[in-house]
Amino acid sequence: MPPLELAIQFHGHICPGLLMGIRVAEFALKELGISPDVDEELVTVVETNSCGVDAIQAILGCTFGKGNLIYKDYGKNVYTVASRDKGRALRIAQKFGGNRGPESQRFRELAQKGNLTADEAAEKENLTGILFERLMSAPFEDLFEWREIDFVFPEKAKIHATIQCAGCGEGVMDIRAVDTARGLICPTCLEEKGGQ
Amino acid sequence: MCESNVYLNKAGQEELLMEKVDRIIPAEDGSIFLENVFGERRVIKARIIEMELVRHRIVMEETSDAAVAQKRQEIWLEPATDHGHFHAGEEVILRVHKGYNMKPGDHKPKTDLQAFGVSEGMSRPLTLQEHHGNLELNLGQEADGLLHIYVREDGDHQLYGVIVMEIGHHHHHGLKPLGLPLEIVPADYSHARMGDSYEIRVLADGKTLAGIRVSATYAGTHNREYPHHLKTDEEGRAKIFLTARGNYLFSVTKDNITSTFTLVKSF
Repeated sequence: MPPLELAIQFHGHICPGLLMGIRVAEFALKELGISPDVDEELVTVVETNSCGVDAIQAILGCTFGKGNLIYKDYGKNVYTVASRDKGRALRIAQKFGGNRGPESQRFRELAQKGNLTADEAAEKENLTGILFERLMSAPFEDLFEWREIDFVFPEKAKIHATIQCAGCGEGVMDIRAVDTARGLICPTCLEEKGGQ
Repeated sequence: MCESNVYLNKAGQEELLMEKVDRIIPAEDGSIFLENVFGERRVIKARIIEMELVRHRIVMEETSDAAVAQKRQEIWLEPATDHGHFHAGEEVILRVHKGYNMKPGDHKPKTDLQAFGVSEGMSRPLTLQEHHGNLELNLGQEADGLLHIYVREDGDHQLYGVIVMEIGHHHHHGLKPLGLPLEIVPADYSHARMGDSYEIRVLADGKTLAGIRVSATYAGTHNREYPHHLKTDEEGRAKIFLTARGNYLFSVTKDNITSTFTLVKSF
């Protein structure tokens, strides 16, 4: 399946943020000469939790579940894609103003509005089309800047033992359990009952 | 650009609406406020379809419900399937619709409508049947390869609807024109998908039509009017970037003929 379709199927809808993520993922594949991840050969550090991250997961295969998607809550559209096999890492940052303009601004207004009128729904649909063509056909350097960086690769994800919580009886990863007077309890019980 | 003349596009003809307009304010209800350098003001239910800033020219099109209702009816074909296309061995059923902008209207296709299947330059008539109030073409389960099908409704204004269906996994290029009085032909038919740039050609009796307006829409659009308008180049070609999921419909009108082409997309 082409990258665009993978991303849209995964994310559920098409929007400018997702398209920017698609451009980043496709650029990283080409620039690093890599294939989508199978078993943690790649690591991506994302500094945002916006739509573009879903394109990273769908296209690069760096996913929340596999543990090779590292999220830093910086509120920045910056993605660092690293390849263990190549020993290389690319830091890709969205240019300030790269996705601005009256259409983007209006799209945001409509996207944040709850119930759209029929005319507004049509307007949003048309803006999606305009931004779609623009963002997918713009030269990459107009939207992003990038550089190769030194990158300390994290260890591959480990599988930990599951123990039973002395409070609720549910299973919990051993390294997440907390030792209390009642025994080892899970974070949920610690949060709700303070270990009592 | 300082001021511009605003024109209204009425069925392909441009009429001067207001001269030397220097202020345009679109309102939430779909109307547009216009004011010119002489202080004249107008409010019109319209949308801007073209702005030529160097030539100080703005073209608008009326969008009021009344204007839409008066639009010329079109006929078009769509695959009767929930996933947009057919696989080999699947029963191939096509529906004939009549309406505008891929929205079926109150008028049903005429019962003397004719349908044809064309293969390797040979045309054969197909039988239309009514099924639960829809006019359908059932091509059975044996249909395979590239199907080029069209329907024709005669009258004061002649209507054509053309579709190309690809059944099974084939790769076809350079689809041959049908030779209709007015026809939209894919420039190089193969698997069109969302995000692709797609090119069509417009022909009249097999000859290229340059500079004609082609409208394009897609299934499920929120627009009352056609969202895209293209113009053919010297070779009768026009290109569109496919930004929506589902099937697209292209429509062209010349004199007393309206002809549509349904692009069946896999995504």
